[in-house]
Amino acid sequence: MKKIISQCAITLCVLVLINSCKKDFLSTKPLTEFSPDNTWNDPNLIQAFVNGIYLNVDNPLNGGDGLLKAEFVDEMQDQWYSFFEFNNCLITADNNLASWPHENWSKIYKNIRACNIFFDRINNVKTFDSTKVDDVRPKDRMTGEVHFLRAYLYHQLASLYGGVPIIKKAYGLNDDFSSRRDTYADCIQFISQECDSAAALLPLVQSGSNQGRATKGAALTLKSRTLLYAASDLHNLPVFPAYAHLDLLGYTDGDRTARWQLAKDAAKAVMDLNQYSLYKALPAPTDSVAQNFADIFISDQTEEDIWVRYFKVTSLNYLPELNELSLVSGPNGYHLYGEDTPAGEVVDDFEMSDGTRFSWSDPAKAYEPYKNRDPRFYSSILYEGVHFKQRPSDLTTLDAYGNLQVGTWQKWDASSNSMVEVYGIDSRKGPIENFNGGYTGYYLRKFINPSTNGQFNTNGSPWRYMRYAEVLLNYAEACIALGQDAEARNYLNMIRKRAGMPDITESGSALADRYRNERRVELAFEEHRFYDVRRWVIAPQAYKQFSGVNVLYKMNPDHTTAAIPEISPYVVQKSAWLNKGYFFPISRDELNKNSLLVQNPDY
Amino acid sequence: MKFILESSTAEHSCRKKKHCCLFLAILWLLMCSSSASAQQPVNGKITSADTVLSAVTISLKGSAVATQTDINGKFSINVAPSDVLVVSFIGFISQEVPVRGRRNIDIQLISEAESLSQVVVVGYGTAKKATLTGSVVAVKGADLVKSPAMNLSNSLAGRVAGVSAVTRSGEPGNDGSTLRIRGSNTLNDNTPLVVVDGIAGRELERIDPSDIESVTILKDASAAIYGARAANGVIMVTTKRGTSGKPALNLSYNQGFVKPTVIPKMANAATYAQMVNEIKVYRNKDIVYTPDDMQKYKDGSDPWGHPNTDWFSEVYKPVSQQRDAHVSLRGGTEAIRYLVSAGYRYQDAIYRNSATNYSQANFRANLDAKVSNNIKLSIDIAGRQENRNYPTLSSGNIYSSTMRGKPNIAAKWPNGFPGPDIERGANPVVMVTDATGYDKDIRYVLESNARLDINIPWVKGLSISGNASIDKYVDNHKLWQTPWYLYYWDGQTYDADKIPQLTKSLRGYATPQLQQDFNNGNRTTLNGLINYSTSIRGVHNIKALAGVEKITGDSMNFYAARKNFISAAADQLFAGGDGTDQTNGGSASVNARLDYFGRFNYNFKEKYLAEFVFRYDGSYIFPAGKKQFGFFPGISLGWVMSEEDFWKRNVTLINNLKIRGSWGQTGNDRINPYQYLQGYAYAGNGTNSSTYIFNRTEENKSINEIRISNPEVTWEVANQSNIGLDGQMVHGKIFFSADYFYNLRTNILAYRNASVPGSTGLTLPRQNIGKVINRGFEFQAGINNKIGEFTCTFSVNGGFQKNKIKFWDEVPGAPVYQQSTGHPINAPLYYEANGIFSDQAAVDKYPHWANARPGDIIFKDVNNDGKIDGLDQVRSDKTDLPTFMGGISLDVQYKNFYASILIQGASGARRKQFTFSGESGNFLQDDANGRWTVDNTTAIKPRTWNFAEEYWMKQYDINNTYFLRNNDYARLKNAEVGYNFPASFNNRIGIRGLRIYINGLNLATVTKLKNYDPESNSDNPYPSNKVYNVGFNLTF
Repeated sequence: MKKIISQCAITLCVLVLINSCKKDFLSTKPLTEFSPDNTWNDPNLIQAFVNGIYLNVDNPLNGGDGLLKAEFVDEMQDQWYSFFEFNNCLITADNNLASWPHENWSKIYKNIRACNIFFDRINNVKTFDSTKVDDVRPKDRMTGEVHFLRAYLYHQLASLYGGVPIIKKAYGLNDDFSSRRDTYADCIQFISQECDSAAALLPLVQSGSNQGRATKGAALTLKSRTLLYAASDLHNLPVFPAYAHLDLLGYTDGDRTARWQLAKDAAKAVMDLNQYSLYKALPAPTDSVAQNFADIFISDQTEEDIWVRYFKVTSLNYLPELNELSLVSGPNGYHLYGEDTPAGEVVDDFEMSDGTRFSWSDPAKAYEPYKNRDPRFYSSILYEGVHFKQRPSDLTTLDAYGNLQVGTWQKWDASSNSMVEVYGIDSRKGPIENFNGGYTGYYLRKFINPSTNGQFNTNGSPWRYMRYAEVLLNYAEACIALGQDAEARNYLNMIRKRAGMPDITESGSALADRYRNERRVELAFEEHRFYDVRRWVIAPQAYKQFSGVNVLYKMNPDHTTAAIPEISPYVVQKSAWLNKGYFFPISRDELNKNSLLVQNPDY
Repeated sequence: MKFILESSTAEHSCRKKKHCCLFLAILWLLMCSSSASAQQPVNGKITSADTVLSAVTISLKGSAVATQTDINGKFSINVAPSDVLVVSFIGFISQEVPVRGRRNIDIQLISEAESLSQVVVVGYGTAKKATLTGSVVAVKGADLVKSPAMNLSNSLAGRVAGVSAVTRSGEPGNDGSTLRIRGSNTLNDNTPLVVVDGIAGRELERIDPSDIESVTILKDASAAIYGARAANGVIMVTTKRGTSGKPALNLSYNQGFVKPTVIPKMANAATYAQMVNEIKVYRNKDIVYTPDDMQKYKDGSDPWGHPNTDWFSEVYKPVSQQRDAHVSLRGGTEAIRYLVSAGYRYQDAIYRNSATNYSQANFRANLDAKVSNNIKLSIDIAGRQENRNYPTLSSGNIYSSTMRGKPNIAAKWPNGFPGPDIERGANPVVMVTDATGYDKDIRYVLESNARLDINIPWVKGLSISGNASIDKYVDNHKLWQTPWYLYYWDGQTYDADKIPQLTKSLRGYATPQLQQDFNNGNRTTLNGLINYSTSIRGVHNIKALAGVEKITGDSMNFYAARKNFISAAADQLFAGGDGTDQTNGGSASVNARLDYFGRFNYNFKEKYLAEFVFRYDGSYIFPAGKKQFGFFPGISLGWVMSEEDFWKRNVTLINNLKIRGSWGQTGNDRINPYQYLQGYAYAGNGTNSSTYIFNRTEENKSINEIRISNPEVTWEVANQSNIGLDGQMVHGKIFFSADYFYNLRTNILAYRNASVPGSTGLTLPRQNIGKVINRGFEFQAGINNKIGEFTCTFSVNGGFQKNKIKFWDEVPGAPVYQQSTGHPINAPLYYEANGIFSDQAAVDKYPHWANARPGDIIFKDVNNDGKIDGLDQVRSDKTDLPTFMGGISLDVQYKNFYASILIQGASGARRKQFTFSGESGNFLQDDANGRWTVDNTTAIKPRTWNFAEEYWMKQYDINNTYFLRNNDYARLKNAEVGYNFPASFNNRIGIRGLRIYINGLNLATVTKLKNYDPESNSDNPYPSNKVYNVGFNLTF
């Protein structure tokens, strides 16, 4: 017996000892990660890393909420969030930009770090294939892409904050983290150089599976945009004369005309690529110009595209998807959210088809405000009575035609011998989810593919970060500033011709005004207005209010209901402007952590 | 021969029944065999402490002969001199007493409660309570089964001082409590370690309470034997094992009736319509509802056009059910003892036509074999299947939709068809059913353990043992989402019969879609222990334990999803669309631990006590080499003052008094692994947001840097100090215990972000920089008494603890009143609500937000700078975890009746209250009553608001103290009244015991919090349950 026991005991001890001696088993490896060695020796993983930088560039549709930048300027009103604090300049260094959902200091710098890591590593990678695709070696293409992306990120920072620290290294844990803000001029110069580096490496066309990556044209367009912004009033006029660090906000010396010339040249460089042209630049007599324009934004690809981001159509899953614009912006009478709706301010800026301004004080125009407008009005805005699309099957009894109804109908009810009011299906008093009805009386049409059933599917339209029309406008703006009115009109009128609008003939400041309006309507909701009102220093005009319309089909004395409604503008939401809004505040946290930083004026 | 006589009477009564006769014949044979040898009566008396026990069963081992004690505790039974008496009584430890020819045998029984207080389970062994020096408390399984809660974690509340169990949700299958031992101690994970039958890391919640012998909780440094996993305390569950003696077959069944503890009271249609009109007026718009509409909402004269819907009563049924059945067989011989049990439980949800339910089937087999005098082998196998069924929309979504439900919209039309949604198909009447598809989750758990104990015969007191355990977890999850239909009425179209014409509307998804997940996890635990105990001259008592343990685990998961099913008829992956809308993926992880540990106990005459425990822990979480291992010691000392002669001479009131103290360091390794490695990983987790699309439709993987490495990463360390006192008075009739503790948690991993500017773009690793202090006290006291046939146990316990952050990397420069250092963990920042602007003059007079108007909440200008901005927020001192929790329990027994009550309460927490009110959803009645209106300008409640349009209502959260609510409470957590059938009855029908009872959970609550259960903390909880339960327990 003793023997058995001692044998058991010995076996047990031996077992335990064996187990405990082999300590290797403690050193497990994470199974869902890639080590730096894996990553930087594998071109496919490096490619995925670059894709990650693209992915972290601010999505203008912002992860499902559909919160376009248009809602932070006089383009769209958000009835759910309203962004009151932002649109009244109540932002402070403490309140985290008051619900601003787009790119900001930390998010952008996080992505810049990824770019910097790439540059630290890329030259030590030995495994790249040297086979050229689109006439460029993969390593050069990726390097060009990252130069472009870093330029884009710094462009975003400089547009929001002015001069920022230019950080070109990937920090280690034990580095000194404090850094001074570089001057605005230095930032612009850096961005411009990055664009040049990118353009030198990138192919003219990214074909096949690379379509959607940055191209030479994208890099040059970014340069054009950056230099145009830099030449603008905000960075060249004394908006904050009392501020001690004016070189952070703009240029304090040098020749502004030269800056306009650079901006002009940069736009010209894109044009000279001969790679892009306006989509249906010369509409055929049988074309619907409005349809042409609408198609630009729902097509997969046009000759006008310079840099786009694709989205796929997928069924909604009760989780935020990448592009829910058709759900979020669509009318409640289609079971959609009607959350952000075009503001009367931008709607009114669409000219009459004869090129004159629309005005509510002109009774003839106000009588039927949606008649004879710029064709782009019809491709950008949904308004009372317009045919949008067939209603969902359960709502066809309410409206068989699929025409937008935001109005109120006064009808005679014979049974009660009295007048009753019937509310449009897409109004805030209608029968369908009326709390989702917009306040402005308009809904968004631009970007929305009518064939998408927004209730169930995401909107698959690509987002155009850059398209050729902007380049032409950038060029025209620089020309006007340089006094080259004829040249400017030439290019402006190319855009107007495509849009089916008569030529502009003005000169001087009248031309500048026409230009600004042209840019506003051509690029409406495309993230430009937000920056334009700032760099033009016209924000006080843009932050007055968000307007809407009341639409009333009155009852006639004979108890019939008028076929043509009375449409009258009203104020939905007040806005207010303070000059501090020209630049974003640097958060107090950030200032505390980096004592070398200087706050922007008036915060 | 009383039993035999009674049996033969029974025999007469059922003579006609053949099977009955057969049974009795066998019984007779058995009895004959046992009375074969020379028999003589033996007499005796059964007592416990100073009292006699009646109705105690005395049987002969290996035979059916039995009797019971009379009212004076006396018995008489015929035995052979070699027989062994088995004495058993509910609530007491069974004893076997050899007769050895004696004629008179008096037996003292030890109550299970007492026995528990004599020996407690501690890490890798047991300890005598009398010589225990750590802060260790225990609960009996018998107490836990008094709660009809379906989740074991809910049964611990109020039972043990210093342990808080807060039930956040009552959703079947998802109703676990947040367990905390001595509150929160770290900025990271505060979950205690659960050890079941010696195996660390097993799950607590779904263990069948009927299988539990005891639950022990290690609160202080005595837990250091669990080293790096013990800093948050250790909960040790011990399951029942076999006993030698006749097999006992036990059946129990419970039928429960469940109601929500509280349902929010929402505004009715007329009030809601009035409030919507007010919103319109505040926005300068025309009002929507006319006085005529209001009248119709009030009088219900127009159910189609002007319904008045109480959404909660449309969605919830008055009462739902739960059931629980358990059968066990327990018994054994000298050589083999066994406990085999099986259980089944089912829990329905409170929804009408509910798709939600939970069911569980479990079994357990605990076998102990005495292979020889020195070798014991134990084999345990336990398994269960957990079925969770849910609709495809979450309980939070359902609750929020019910709460938002506008009272002037029909939940169901008068013809029974479901009414419209709020938006996107959200009609909770339909959401709770299987009309939207199903969400089915089946989990299998298999836990096994083999243990070998060997006494080394040639060294007295030396034994070794080894454990090998394999646990396996498999989870199958299937989410099948289908379109559903709702019905609209446009308010004007009627059919030929003048009945409103409804239109059918497709909601949710255009086509069905399916997602399936499969998860598989394994854990292997191997350990070896050496135990040695000796006593030198009976005064120096020494016990030593050393051990080594190796734990490895792995898990993997795998999923696939398809969309665009052309038909809902086949809910299988193959039938889904083949286009781009299909995904699949999977991942895996491994873990490993290697630990050496030990314990050394010394006492002098059980008067001066000392214990030292340690663990030297190695973990996969840390880099190989020195940092991979950590040493965690614990030391404790005790002095049993009452053993001193001077005490014995002078103090008569207090019979037993022990002072003890402990200090130790334990670790917390519940942190993310691999922080010493730099790494890159795919963005997201295979979701849409993790891919970037090139070439129109090609989805491309993207990777991000997920962390930079922190080569210095190490364990979080809990420095735990405890002093305590245990005592007994009046011969054990009064007992008390008190503890004071001071925990300093250091090396807490926290992001150093606060001093690293955003411009670096760094995703920082966490570093061991945080410090949290947590201190508090606990007490437990009670009385055991027996007067005649009336037995009573009364006890009170309570625990108070308060934590504060001593250091972490807080942004410098913030005003003192906003800093979190010095405040409890997770304390938020709020604007201070300071009343309501009564009129425009009041608005003009005080600093306010730019758009403030009469009826708005006044924010206090905290820094007196004449404006309200971010600097006026103040760090709160309250969080959603209570700082005090306590319980009062009372057990009384009179003859065969007994009753048991547990009152439990908590205080010191605050709860947020947030609703989606406005045009998009209904208001709480409480927010409607007494609100500010133009006619009620002196109101203390704000005006009607419209979701997030007001500065004092933020989207998805609150920003000011007005919406904080006091949720202190006291509640009748459990109550049970039961009846033990007398032996005379039991004997007549041939059973050993029968108990019937009714009990309940959360039966009554006293709290200031309206509309929500005080234990819930979410805005959209599944309501907590109030359970009324009837049951019986039958032993053969």
